[in-house]
Amino acid sequence: MALPISLRDSITPPELELIASEELVEIVPLISMERTAFISGAYGPLRPPNKARIPLWMAINLKMKKKCHIVPPDWLSVADFLQERLTQETTQPEFSQFPFRFTEIAKLLLDTAPDDIPNSDKIRSLLKDIREARQAKSRDGLQKIDHSELSLPNLCSMEINEIRPFFVRAMGVLTQLTRDPVADSRQFGV
Amino acid sequence: MAGAPSPFAVALGPIELDFGALPESLFQQLMRHWLNERHAPDILPVQAEVLGALLDHIRRQTDSVQALRGDPDSSEAEHARIMLVQTEVERVKFVVRSYIRTRLYKAQKFSRYIAATPKVQEKLSQTELDHAKRFSQLTENHFRVSVLQALPPHQQGLDDNTPFTPPMISEPDKSRAVFVHARGECPPVRLPDGTTMQMKKGQIVLTPYAVVEQLLEMGNVELI
Repeated sequence: MALPISLRDSITPPELELIASEELVEIVPLISMERTAFISGAYGPLRPPNKARIPLWMAINLKMKKKCHIVPPDWLSVADFLQERLTQETTQPEFSQFPFRFTEIAKLLLDTAPDDIPNSDKIRSLLKDIREARQAKSRDGLQKIDHSELSLPNLCSMEINEIRPFFVRAMGVLTQLTRDPVADSRQFGV
Repeated sequence: MAGAPSPFAVALGPIELDFGALPESLFQQLMRHWLNERHAPDILPVQAEVLGALLDHIRRQTDSVQALRGDPDSSEAEHARIMLVQTEVERVKFVVRSYIRTRLYKAQKFSRYIAATPKVQEKLSQTELDHAKRFSQLTENHFRVSVLQALPPHQQGLDDNTPFTPPMISEPDKSRAVFVHARGECPPVRLPDGTTMQMKKGQIVLTPYAVVEQLLEMGNVELI
């Protein structure tokens, strides 16, 4: 078949990682390279020890060959920041603000460059706690679902992907229950 | 919609992605359309221009890699560059392939609906349309030869509309819910319960596909 069954309803986490890898990160290169034209834009020149901004996939590629150090983004480098977010997350009813693809980026960086991230173990466990606090909230959010609309401020791409199958089905069932066959055809529209 | 893609603006972008703040590169455009296609229950208008431009770009990159590889004097640093360029080409190819396969899957799934509805046919490229039409003919022939010709004439139809049974021609289920992200301020839309909703930039909403279908076509929102 043109598309395997597992890919039909939703995007998969590895694909989300591929998308997140287009984000830019700062690196300290260990090799020099001229400015090069890529499909997504021109990057470089790399001149050690000057910092440079390149896409995450490129940074990971160079990191694995020990040709650069990755400078982690602010929200991943200061343990205080994440600690504060965790307190917010557990005390406030709403989701706290995070970059949209923070889970993917954090995972990729913690997997490939733990030595470039100070206190990486601490950060790992903080991220896990934050994830659990947020998960509990999104489950609570299911109470508010109806057949027409549900607003989800500050939800991240990975979390959306996680709740997708259940929420989409739930809304589908509610739609079926409220469907009015006569009005159905003219109800929708801008 | 973003204007002409500028590689420099993208290169300077911050990681705290406020997506849509900078002009999109061609590849980012394709990724957006790819995600839309993956999440939408209906087949979306084909992005022939973006696809064509990217395929040209892939070809140019591959050609220059070939030329550099043939050069015996290339240094170690050159090799690293070639490797990175090739890696990116593979990444782009992956998205292109996945995009086309998703469309192909939908074209096959809704082939009989597409063959019968001229309005939907405009959304497909010529090759996709030919494929969908041939596919629907093949399946219909197959049904006829294997089963239908042995049935009484009044049961031979393939487009009967019997009340309380699902239609025989499968159509996209536009009432399926999708996660929508507003790329900019949106004009108000009517919700199924009769109220209106006006999405602000950056807002994320779960709502039936039919509600945002037109916003999606205009590029005001994207599916995530």
